[in-house]
Amino acid sequence: MMNDTPALQLRSLRKAFGRPAVDGIDLSVRRGELYALLGPNGAGKTTTLRMVTGLLAPDSGQIEVLGIDLAGNPAAAKQKMAYLPDDPLLYGKLKPTEYLEFVAGLWGIAPEEAEPRARRLLDWLDLAKHAHELTEGFSRGMKQKLALAGALIHEPELLILDEPLTGLDAAAARQVKDLLVSHVAQGGTVILTTHILEVAERLAQRIGIIRQGRLIAEGTLAELRERTHGGSLEDVFLQLTEQA
Amino acid sequence: MTAPPGSSRWLLRHELRLAWYGAAINKGGRRRMGWASIAVWTLAWITLHVLAFVVLRKMTPGGVMDPRLAIPATLVLAAVATFMLASSLKASVMALFERGDLDLLLSSPLSSRSIFTVRLLGVIVAGAALYLFLFGPLVHVGVALGQFHWVGVYVAIMATATLMACLGMLLTLALVRLLGARRTRVLAQVLGAVAGALLFLLSQAYSMFSHTGDSGAAERTLRHMAESPWLAPDSPLWLPGRAVLGEPLPTLGMALLGIAAFALTVGRTHRFFVHGVQEAAGSARAVGKPSGAMRLRFRRSLFDAVVVKEWRLIARDTHLLSQVLLQLVYLAPMLFLILRKNDAPGPAIGAGLALLCSSLTGSLAWIIVSAEDAPDLLHSSPAAGRTVKLAKLAASVMPPLLLVALPLLWLLVRAPLAGFLIGFVVVAAVLSAALIVGWQGRPALRSDFKMRGKENFLCTVFESVNTLCWGGLGWLLVSLAADSGGAAGSTAMMAAGVLAAALLSLLLAWLLRKRLV
Repeated sequence: MMNDTPALQLRSLRKAFGRPAVDGIDLSVRRGELYALLGPNGAGKTTTLRMVTGLLAPDSGQIEVLGIDLAGNPAAAKQKMAYLPDDPLLYGKLKPTEYLEFVAGLWGIAPEEAEPRARRLLDWLDLAKHAHELTEGFSRGMKQKLALAGALIHEPELLILDEPLTGLDAAAARQVKDLLVSHVAQGGTVILTTHILEVAERLAQRIGIIRQGRLIAEGTLAELRERTHGGSLEDVFLQLTEQA
Repeated sequence: MTAPPGSSRWLLRHELRLAWYGAAINKGGRRRMGWASIAVWTLAWITLHVLAFVVLRKMTPGGVMDPRLAIPATLVLAAVATFMLASSLKASVMALFERGDLDLLLSSPLSSRSIFTVRLLGVIVAGAALYLFLFGPLVHVGVALGQFHWVGVYVAIMATATLMACLGMLLTLALVRLLGARRTRVLAQVLGAVAGALLFLLSQAYSMFSHTGDSGAAERTLRHMAESPWLAPDSPLWLPGRAVLGEPLPTLGMALLGIAAFALTVGRTHRFFVHGVQEAAGSARAVGKPSGAMRLRFRRSLFDAVVVKEWRLIARDTHLLSQVLLQLVYLAPMLFLILRKNDAPGPAIGAGLALLCSSLTGSLAWIIVSAEDAPDLLHSSPAAGRTVKLAKLAASVMPPLLLVALPLLWLLVRAPLAGFLIGFVVVAAVLSAALIVGWQGRPALRSDFKMRGKENFLCTVFESVNTLCWGGLGWLLVSLAADSGGAAGSTAMMAAGVLAAALLSLLLAWLLRKRLV
């Protein structure tokens, strides 16, 4: 019964900064799916994600994370999710292990659980050999991978990523994509925004398209194609966002 | 006449423009001075001219110069030189490590010699600007009064700035060769801080010697100066002072010395400058422990994790560290005074310890609480904000308290009442300073550490009032402990008043508290 609860449920979510940034979004993301949120620049994707993760208070509307009302019980909701912003800050003067130690502390993970996870994640993401370096010297890809390791150290049920592949080389992007697929395969839920439509096309089970703060289309790739009589996701996207 | 693009003059103009944009008077996102700034600076400039007029009339009655003036002039120039050295060390570190434009410049067709020359000129101008502003009025008023020899002030300042800039740059480059770029960065920052505080340390050392025990030191020094040919007014030791006073040969000598130092530094070291830049570029990837298995020993509690993270970040940030260390440098003479065997602790120790610990805590709390690098990470975590904030405040108060714990214990053993009172005031000052930043702090960038006072005016006011109150209370309570005479009653009243003011400032800071989001 509990597993029928969506991983994320948004009801009439609104936020305005002078003009509406998010304008009444209703959205439901099922458990165990990889959901891609697409939209042109300034469409309201990041604002939506920041409200979902409790970084921004909505003007109105409701957010439920795995059945927990975010406004009513933010700590319990945050305990189950992780957020990776588009330009994560890693504290340049910390080493990867120290960063992971700090993040594990924030999520209250016991050392005996956190240490093997940290080791596994650093190995998996090819960062173990850089474990004794300060992160200020890391490349963009290394920083992104370490931030992802931080997001995964408490094994979140819902992983929310804002443009996780921007600026990564092919190898790093492949590692991140593999990690996301693996997370979903293990029952986790991933919501990501991306401008790389090929990523959404290949990885996402469902895709939502936002324009001017509203969810204008949603469904599987096949459903979206059918709706617009388009070819690739790019055609569909451009047709729906009226940029074609 | 405009300099052709790509020439040294063109680059110098670019450098000066950047320096102007970055100058303190242009802060606040503007590139031009506002009318208020212009008015303030003009007023200060005019006031300095009036002061210069008064000073010159006193110093040179009837236009006749006392040759003994060369001694204080030399001492002032030496003091200025230490500040210039501190500034040039910082500027050299900035030129090598912090400015991100060297890759662009060195990949352009400009010669490395031109780039280095212009960068060194920038360091010289930055070092000299303040002193030209402060002492320039002496020259202008002197010339207006027909005392043209005061032009020597300009020559002496520019020559000293050049010498110190060359020394600072050479020292930084030599340290890169000897220690590597990372350690140089730390050491140069610390050296800069110590050089800046050198004058204060020397004055404290002098007052320590002259006050007690060795009370004849000052007189002996003066007698020795009069007897020794090396310290007499016509000694070559005071040549820099004579240059300041505009004696032709010393002035010419200083000018030539400055030019020679500049030419030699540019000629001999511009290639090594490029090497230093390359070293610096690779330094960010320095490996702490090159080999061996990954060691993981995670801490059990959120509190510990936050405290350790904050201390690590400060300890590894050389720029911040040097700023904090500078405050410790000022604390050092006071510790000597406390640990001295004679005398009971004086009121100055109570006040000084409270002032310094409070200001050190304020700085640390600003870095730790206000200048959090990753607020999103903290806010998106389920960690209780209260626990995180408490841990951050604890991380701010622990270093100052640990630092003075031993001297305070020593005081408690030697003079229990005074020690207890000083301990009370220090702990209260430290906790208050942290709480005020916790209540009044605003999100900020660590790189704005030096500007923190201007960015959050209300917090600065609360911090200053609070610090002064606890310092004053320290003074009054220690005086009270030592004095059981007739003045004790009024001192106690004053102490009660100051305590009330300190508590009131805390209450106001709490009532007007902000939430850091």
